[in-house]
Amino acid sequence: MLIDEMKYITPEISLLCFALLIVVVDLFVTRKGVLPILSVIGALVAAFFTVGLWGNGGISAFNNMIAIDQFGLFFKLLILASLVLVVMASNKYVLKFEKFQGEYYAVLMLSAIGLMLLVSAVNLITIYVSLELSSISLYALVSFLKDKASSEAGLKYLILGAVASAILLYGMALTFGLTGSTGLTAIADYFRTSSTASPLLLTGLVLIIAGFGFKIASVPFQLWVPDVYEGAPTPITAYLSVASKAAGFAVITRILMTAFGQPDWLHAEWAIIIAVLAALTMTVGNVTALVQTNIKRLFGYSSIAQAGYLMVGLAAMGMATQGNADIRSGIIFFLFSYTLTNLGAFIAIIAISNKIDSDQIADYTGMGKRSPLLAGALTLFLVSLTGLPPTAGLIAKIYIFNGAVDQGLLWLVVIAVINSVISAFYYFRVVKVMWMGEPASQDKVTSSWPEWTALAVCCIMVVIIGVAPGAFVGLTQAAVKMFGI
Amino acid sequence: MNLNLLSWIIFLPIIGIIVIAVLPKPGQKTVKWIALSFALASFLISIAMFWMFDRSGSAIGHMQFEEKIAWIPAINAYYHLGVDGLSIPLVILMTFLGVVSVLVSWKIQLRPKEYFIWILLLESSILGVFCSLDLILFFLFWELELIPMYFLISIWGSGRKEYAANKYLIYTLVGSSFMLAGILSTYFITHTFDLTALAGISITSSFIPLTVLFFLLIVGFAIKLPVFPLHTWLPDAHTNAPTAASVILAGALLKMGGYGMIRLCVSMLPQIAVQYAPVMCTLAVIGVVYGAAVTMRQTDLKRLIAYSSVSHMGYVLLGIFALNQVSLAGASLQMFSHGVITGLLFAMVGLVYDKTHTRDLNNLSGLARQMPIIVVVFSIAGLASLGLPGTVGFIAEFITFAGSFASITIAGMKIFTLIAVTGVVVTAGYMLWMLQRVFYGYPLDKYNGVKDADAVEMISTFSFVAVIMAVGIYPAVLTNVINMGVAPIARLIGM
Amino acid sequence: MMFSVGLDHYLILSAILFCIGLVGVITQRNVIKLIMCLEIMLNAVNITLIAFSQYITPTLLTGQIFAIFVMVVAAAEVAVGIAIVFSIYRSRESVDMENFNILKW
Repeated sequence: MLIDEMKYITPEISLLCFALLIVVVDLFVTRKGVLPILSVIGALVAAFFTVGLWGNGGISAFNNMIAIDQFGLFFKLLILASLVLVVMASNKYVLKFEKFQGEYYAVLMLSAIGLMLLVSAVNLITIYVSLELSSISLYALVSFLKDKASSEAGLKYLILGAVASAILLYGMALTFGLTGSTGLTAIADYFRTSSTASPLLLTGLVLIIAGFGFKIASVPFQLWVPDVYEGAPTPITAYLSVASKAAGFAVITRILMTAFGQPDWLHAEWAIIIAVLAALTMTVGNVTALVQTNIKRLFGYSSIAQAGYLMVGLAAMGMATQGNADIRSGIIFFLFSYTLTNLGAFIAIIAISNKIDSDQIADYTGMGKRSPLLAGALTLFLVSLTGLPPTAGLIAKIYIFNGAVDQGLLWLVVIAVINSVISAFYYFRVVKVMWMGEPASQDKVTSSWPEWTALAVCCIMVVIIGVAPGAFVGLTQAAVKMFGI
Repeated sequence: MNLNLLSWIIFLPIIGIIVIAVLPKPGQKTVKWIALSFALASFLISIAMFWMFDRSGSAIGHMQFEEKIAWIPAINAYYHLGVDGLSIPLVILMTFLGVVSVLVSWKIQLRPKEYFIWILLLESSILGVFCSLDLILFFLFWELELIPMYFLISIWGSGRKEYAANKYLIYTLVGSSFMLAGILSTYFITHTFDLTALAGISITSSFIPLTVLFFLLIVGFAIKLPVFPLHTWLPDAHTNAPTAASVILAGALLKMGGYGMIRLCVSMLPQIAVQYAPVMCTLAVIGVVYGAAVTMRQTDLKRLIAYSSVSHMGYVLLGIFALNQVSLAGASLQMFSHGVITGLLFAMVGLVYDKTHTRDLNNLSGLARQMPIIVVVFSIAGLASLGLPGTVGFIAEFITFAGSFASITIAGMKIFTLIAVTGVVVTAGYMLWMLQRVFYGYPLDKYNGVKDADAVEMISTFSFVAVIMAVGIYPAVLTNVINMGVAPIARLIGM
Repeated sequence: MMFSVGLDHYLILSAILFCIGLVGVITQRNVIKLIMCLEIMLNAVNITLIAFSQYITPTLLTGQIFAIFVMVVAAAEVAVGIAIVFSIYRSRESVDMENFNILKW
């Protein structure tokens, strides 16, 4: 029964209730400090429900609209974790929004709901609707500062996002038309009985990959990234760079694996497209990052490059026959460690920019003297992004590249490791600026306790995953269980 | 009975880091004593381990003090440590240098807390490289070493320190990137990261030509060793690094390159090593001669010794790729010998610089009168470097050349050896010339008030001298264990 | 032979419409026109969906429901879009993309 199946979306429902509650509370309460507390509680309640569903491996609900599997649940938890961290990091930043703080938290939670539905959607219709729920919330959030740069970023994000979703939709429409179904498993059934696909269907597949390429910032759909990252409120930039990207990768993994994962001739088709895109994506991201002077733009390009490494994993997944579970677990592990690392870096950036009110790398000069802890933490995250020990970044890279070499993609891995070297140039440029050179002012840069807590969590996790990844690898291996395969 | 000695040796410095890090605002004195005690503890354990090392014939070809715990089960990676005759001298070398480098930095004033943290981290990571028997663990430690070195050069260095640090970073990263690709390919072919297992099996692959695999792996080591023409980072890094970092860099870090070549390239792919030995030997000889020639032209003391390192590490490369048991043993001993001798030379240059505030040969003269002790120690180091009998330098070079001259693995080895020997002659030239200019020229008035070494400096430098002489007079203490380590490798080559 | 309208014709029509929309998005500088071009793209998709629904799965309404969802979502998207355009217009008195150049494209 429909009403019985409601329990499968309790995380989303509870989060929605809290989002609405926040809007209402915001009307009556003058002390706005209660709002972030409510959002954190909401996220924790949703996480509680999500954990409660764990182990319910592979059921679908609402007539095959969404699936409850560990893959989706893991990503829900990841999205909720980044929501909590972003809310904690926005603690001081929200003062810039003046009277719209309640809406900020509510819309942020709405976008999280969209992403959570997205990672468990197994029907093209649900995928599209939840994708748009998260995207439209994010368009609003990006332009939340309402100054020139922020609105401009929001508009660019909206237009390019809408074009991408139109392309995605067209791909979905073609797929639907030629397979006669919108359910991912039903599409898979169609392919199982056919030995070749019409060019139109392949066009549909390519258009779908292109549409999600926008979400995960793959070349040639990466153009929006630097502008939007620079113009958006910094906590939203952080959120975009992790939660939205993780969900994008989760859903593209799900679509490719469930609907287009079989038979062999089909997944080899898209694997090679993605391999080429991966090589281009990381190269473009890394090379363009070299000349950036704004730290948010730099992280924009860096996140494009990181998406490239992840796509190496996607390509390997396509190369593997029978959907090698280790490779999928590598992708999940990389997303997990990347989320913590990038969020941590952005929390440090938010804390620093709250004080110095600038995102120019040059203004970070001597940050090591003004705030050794913040600079130290940011250094740790940059080291992790470069892929050096003792951090999560290195293990994640080894894990994902190992899978790729395993599938005969040595050429791609060589390109990827050369790219890692290039990335060291710009990551360490920030490190150099922070630790060498004299600060422009002697003012100490400090931060509030929610930010410190969030930062400490990220730091500790990044090091623990870097040193003893066993348990986390186990977790990601459990998270590969996907509905329909 | 398993005491996990290796883990203690590697992680004692890390515990020291944690102690230093959690102390709220410790004084410079506290920090250096903590650093010293942890480095010393690590050193003492390594000596104890050397004492307990099984030297019987049955132990040949086996790792000792092994520890193995599952680490990342998903990719079959283990926390797997162990030492054999090849690595144990290097472990002792590093723990020794760890102690000495703390002593050398006794007077550091700038950010002492961070400084000693980085020194200890550097020590841990290098020890980890020498003890790891799992390729992923090896790679992790290999990369870990980058970060402390980068900061040591870029913050506490002098001159063009940022340029030097960046150059060091990029060179090493390029090498290690290829190494990572090589390691992953190895795993794909053999499905193991275990170095002990890899050394025994003959690798065949249709996936990737073994030659490519060999070069993927060796590039990183060649950069680190350094092999001509990949050596250009070394003079910059040395010249601009602080003294202790130079000591560790020359003393232990370069050895990671030689060690890696023997452990990975030669042991895993002996046939390819034989095939490309002429190329490597040619590079070695070029390195020796070119390094020596360039050294003659240097006027900066540190740069001079840095280039002499390029030349002397050429012997190591020659010894390795002469590919017979004697030459491999010679190469291993030469790594140890170069470690202590060049470590001492850099420590001495550091002392001279501390006292006179210049490293320029043109400005130094007649210091023998002001600093008699420094002169004696510096001279011993210089003479050891040019291979004076009675010092470890002589033994190491002699064994290396004897081994490579006798090698029949590849043609023309005698010619390579003869050319390389000229390096020794040139070394004598620049070392004596340098000593003469710095210490025995006409005394300059501006250095009248300059003091000689104090107690701490004497402890650190004399301990170097003791090692140089002790091993020089009784080399069997090391050659016995080294032979145990290289014998199985020589057997693999079949010569 | 009688000329009859079949699935192909709908698909070609929608493909042409989609391309018109796409070209418009790329070339238009006026934000309002740009958003209209976006709508053309979405409507092209709707035509595809409904045509498929009619000819491929005549017994099921999946395609038509999908099209309704697309319309609803598109309306929401345009609402947010126009709101952002308003906010920009207030500060700059312009709806021309050429003038939105604080951020490098």
